[in-house]
Amino acid sequence: MSNRRLLFLCLVSAVALTPLVGQSQSAPARVTFAETIAPIVYANCVTCHRLGEAAPFSLISYEDVAKRGALIAKVTESRYMPPWHAEPGYGEFVGERRLTNAQIATIAAWVKQGMPRGDESRMPKRPEFPADGWRLGQPDLILEMPLAFEVPSSGPDVFRNFVIPTKLGEDKWVRGIEFRPSARKVVHHALFAQVPGGSRANVDGVDGRPGFGGLSAVGFMDRTDPGLGGWVPGAQPAMFTEGIVSRLPKGSDFLLQVHFHPSGKAELEKSLIGIYFAANGGQKDLASVQLPAIFGLGAGIDIPPGEKQFTIKDSFTLPGDAKVYNAFAHAHYLATQMKAEATLPDGSTRPLIWIRDWDFNWQDGYSYKQPFILPRGTRIDATLTYDNSTDNPRNPTNPPRRAIFGEQSLDEMGTIGFEIEIVNKAEVNAFHDALASRNKVATEVASKNGTLGRLLARGLRRNMQQLTIFDRQGNVVTRLGEVGSYSQAAFSPDGTRIVVVKNDPDTDGRDIWTFDIATGKSTAITSDAPPDSAPIWSPDGTQIAYVSDRDRTNAIYRRAARGTGAEELVYTHTTGSQLILTDWSADGRFICFWSGETMFLLPLT
Amino acid sequence: MRSSAFVIWILIVTSAIVVAQGDRGRLQLRDLNGRAIAPFDPRGRANVVFFVATDCPVSNSYAPVIQRVCREYGSRGVECSLIYEDVDVHPTPAHLDQLVRMHLHEYGYAGFAAVVDRGRAAATHAKASVTPQAFVIDHSGEIRYRGRIDNLYAAFGKTRQQVTSHDLLDALDAVLAGGKVPHPETEALGCFITDPALLRKHVHE
Repeated sequence: MSNRRLLFLCLVSAVALTPLVGQSQSAPARVTFAETIAPIVYANCVTCHRLGEAAPFSLISYEDVAKRGALIAKVTESRYMPPWHAEPGYGEFVGERRLTNAQIATIAAWVKQGMPRGDESRMPKRPEFPADGWRLGQPDLILEMPLAFEVPSSGPDVFRNFVIPTKLGEDKWVRGIEFRPSARKVVHHALFAQVPGGSRANVDGVDGRPGFGGLSAVGFMDRTDPGLGGWVPGAQPAMFTEGIVSRLPKGSDFLLQVHFHPSGKAELEKSLIGIYFAANGGQKDLASVQLPAIFGLGAGIDIPPGEKQFTIKDSFTLPGDAKVYNAFAHAHYLATQMKAEATLPDGSTRPLIWIRDWDFNWQDGYSYKQPFILPRGTRIDATLTYDNSTDNPRNPTNPPRRAIFGEQSLDEMGTIGFEIEIVNKAEVNAFHDALASRNKVATEVASKNGTLGRLLARGLRRNMQQLTIFDRQGNVVTRLGEVGSYSQAAFSPDGTRIVVVKNDPDTDGRDIWTFDIATGKSTAITSDAPPDSAPIWSPDGTQIAYVSDRDRTNAIYRRAARGTGAEELVYTHTTGSQLILTDWSADGRFICFWSGETMFLLPLT
Repeated sequence: MRSSAFVIWILIVTSAIVVAQGDRGRLQLRDLNGRAIAPFDPRGRANVVFFVATDCPVSNSYAPVIQRVCREYGSRGVECSLIYEDVDVHPTPAHLDQLVRMHLHEYGYAGFAAVVDRGRAAATHAKASVTPQAFVIDHSGEIRYRGRIDNLYAAFGKTRQQVTSHDLLDALDAVLAGGKVPHPETEALGCFITDPALLRKHVHE
């Protein structure tokens, strides 16, 4: 490039830049990294964007930031980053992660100016973060996931629930929780709850991996008030708002629901949870107000396919003075907006919260910077909006399907909740009566409009699945076998058959079956009492290897895929731990499996 | 000071990547193993070129998809290449090469031809602006598709629950069948490819 052309380019960019800088009074004429950009980035981005944290890359040095300048300008302008979903002007919350308009304009101006570095000596000090360890101090109780969970490299997001026994000999009161994931790049958020000890034993680990799947680990009917909270990347660990404690009963299990976002390579997660206890149950009378009640059970959530603007509304008039500490919101994928406002007895209004672009991935809790009192007679109005059309990219079904109230990811729910303190002792009963009556009404409505009936019927049919093959456009190619309970399906190398584990809910037996896709013909490879799992195909499609758990010993067997001949014992694993077969080498000579955290290569002689 | 930086820049651009313009006027590149390759000049019926970066989360999240596509179409004579568009802020070229080798290993890209596009010769040639971005080149060397792999990302941070448009596969199928590509150009969403000269300009400020 000739010098003259360079000069010409510089002139053009200078001219192009002038109006932009002129428009925004707060964007300085010449923006440099050292003086202007680094302070913005250090204050708003590096909590996550540094080595070992949740964000996918660091934003510490000039090079880190400059090589992504255009991207940073774009995602700050769209307010995708920093991630914060509550609209300004609708409540002021602790730990808000948002930039001012002026800061966003400054970043854009810097990028337009070619991202000058500036005077290194005027760089702010690099932010320092405490070394690995508990930020809230040594916890009173440390819980660790008993086994590491492998997050796959790709595929849809994974919701996994882990059961960790607390082994508490007496009831305790929790005043804070610190969560330390091990694979921060793939942990998107986590929710905490407690359930009766052993109550999830029937589902925990049944698919051969730690924990169990699904969004509905904690029934919406038995969530505790107030809950145990959760974690999102970027949130600073903090004790619960002053005076708020939550009971952790004797012998209970801690339930950790983690939302994983596959990153392109497999990761192992083994979380640590630090729990901080309070001396006693606290003096405050706390309550949780949900609008609508019970996560929208009685709100008539039944959203027709294609409906762009399905709205539910609910109101609650406070039967006494309430001090509002926190707001929270919950819905699944179809919700778009959630908004709540208070109308005080004098007619004035107070915006409480507005989530303008609901994102299931960022389920923040919102703690008000200054808890405030809403006087008796204040009416809270909540409006929730859903979009069940193809215009909603988060829609989990395509073409859209009817969505009804429920706990599965294809169902919908929705509520805006507030954690409040009942200020006057004399009004405690009035509050509890009013809230109980709301729950009762919601249940009655749900029973009349069929919501409850559908939920119960679905509960009875739980685990009832149909093996279905779809093409890439989502059209059904064929359905195989009877309605039942299946897992671990795998196509044969030539794509004409599948092997699957068929579960018998009555006997808890698990057997290996194959299905011919063209004819639907099924063949039992095993039909014995011990549970069998992890079937894999030999590369030529003639044999199937699987794991069988007999007399508490895991062993690998193989049998002809046509179900002929006898099974052959290939290998016995003496440690007694679970085996998972992963692959059969292309030359047919090795089987690969893992057990615990070790991968094995087994030669077939 | 400034002129020496400029000389280094010229050296890097001219030496590291471009081996020669092929006789049909097409770009020849050197892969990490020093082998000369011409991904824009297919030996078979079509090639696919993916522009990626080691530190772009969107491009990384597509690694398994890219591998699946290449496995599936490899048997039909389609060759895949990865072109890395990292900004080289490392002390020597060997550092970035090593980083890319580690990336190939960590993300399961064993056996892929990979090029480190330090001077952006390949990106300029193909008019690539984002990672990940996919290109389908037909047997005559014509770029028949330029854009996203699929529509998983509706916007930054807004991924679809279901992919509804498999643009790259549709384009590949069309080219292999000798037909017209339905959407020859789509907008790829990901990390912008940065001109390394822009950063180098400020090194000695």
